[in-house]
Amino acid sequence: MMLRASSSANDLELDLDVVRGDLQESDAIQHAPELAALVDASVNDLASLPSARSALVEATDEATMLDAAAVVANFEMMTRIADGTGTRHPADRLESMSELSDSMGLGDFASERA
Amino acid sequence: MTKTPTSLIELSHEATNLHIRSDLTAAHAHVWEKLAAPGTWWNGSERLAVAEVVRVALGDSDPVPPWDSASKSGRLPNSSRISSELQDAVYRLAVHAGTLTEGWYQKMRDATGVTPQQWVEIIEVTISVASVLRFAQLAGIDSPDFPEPLQGQPTRQTQPSKPAKHHWVPVVHLEDSTPELAPFYNGLPALAPVIRALSSVPAAMDTLFTLGDAQYIPMREMVDMNWTRGTLSRRQIELVAGRLSAHRECFY
Repeated sequence: MMLRASSSANDLELDLDVVRGDLQESDAIQHAPELAALVDASVNDLASLPSARSALVEATDEATMLDAAAVVANFEMMTRIADGTGTRHPADRLESMSELSDSMGLGDFASERA
Repeated sequence: MTKTPTSLIELSHEATNLHIRSDLTAAHAHVWEKLAAPGTWWNGSERLAVAEVVRVALGDSDPVPPWDSASKSGRLPNSSRISSELQDAVYRLAVHAGTLTEGWYQKMRDATGVTPQQWVEIIEVTISVASVLRFAQLAGIDSPDFPEPLQGQPTRQTQPSKPAKHHWVPVVHLEDSTPELAPFYNGLPALAPVIRALSSVPAAMDTLFTLGDAQYIPMREMVDMNWTRGTLSRRQIELVAGRLSAHRECFY
């Protein structure tokens, strides 16, 4: 939702497949493939984490890599708060995100709480 | 000589050539200072016992599936200060949070006897450990050791929390704000449900705000869709956030 909002605020077209799919370079999000690779490696393939980290530093810089690591850490926090407390979206919000939710297959998540 | 919690974080962040932001180091040091100290509903040793389960769970390369008992798998400490039922709940929160349901929550409370406020504090310990250890792992630095437990009793400070429409746990509504919640509630016309979720334990709110401000975006800058620290753009931040949340199958 915040990704969509931050793109809309800048009149940028954004393919929300960036959240779950394979990534290409795009004007909307610079260095998206390197950022996604860091996240993916941290969850699914720790052996490739050092190379994902190096690739991101090479594409950006060390401070950017560290800030990306911090954002991952933050959402390791937020996901556990949401799922540990059973947090739900208000009905109006759920309705406004229904199209987005369908297109991204979020309804398949066990954590969906209408 | 025993190292202080802050020095454990500083050692981890400084034993590298990376230049880690001082506000991020300070935020992690702040939650490490609280980690093994008496909390609101659990004492320091109990909080550390929760933290130990989280550490084991996060480091488990072949996690116990959500339907099995981690405590019976032999991976968790036998002489823990918390019950095996609670160890199982913490382990599942740490590695399978996306599978939790309201039915699970009710059964877990029946099995462990924890109150909603005690559960909120367990979440607070879990997010402290998950934040600090996962940042270290992603940045490629050594994970800090846990601090030694501090003696003392929990404060048992209650809040006027009420059953909530958007949570399993009770929350304090904006109109019922207290002096302890003022730093988090004041001046905000509304608060996202996920932020309000921990409000029955203000010390947990402090942890959330401290970490969120340093790791993500300061709460009061959240509405600025172009906010940046000069490194990641807002869209890059949200890409990382969204992709991690999708991996964790977090619908919210």
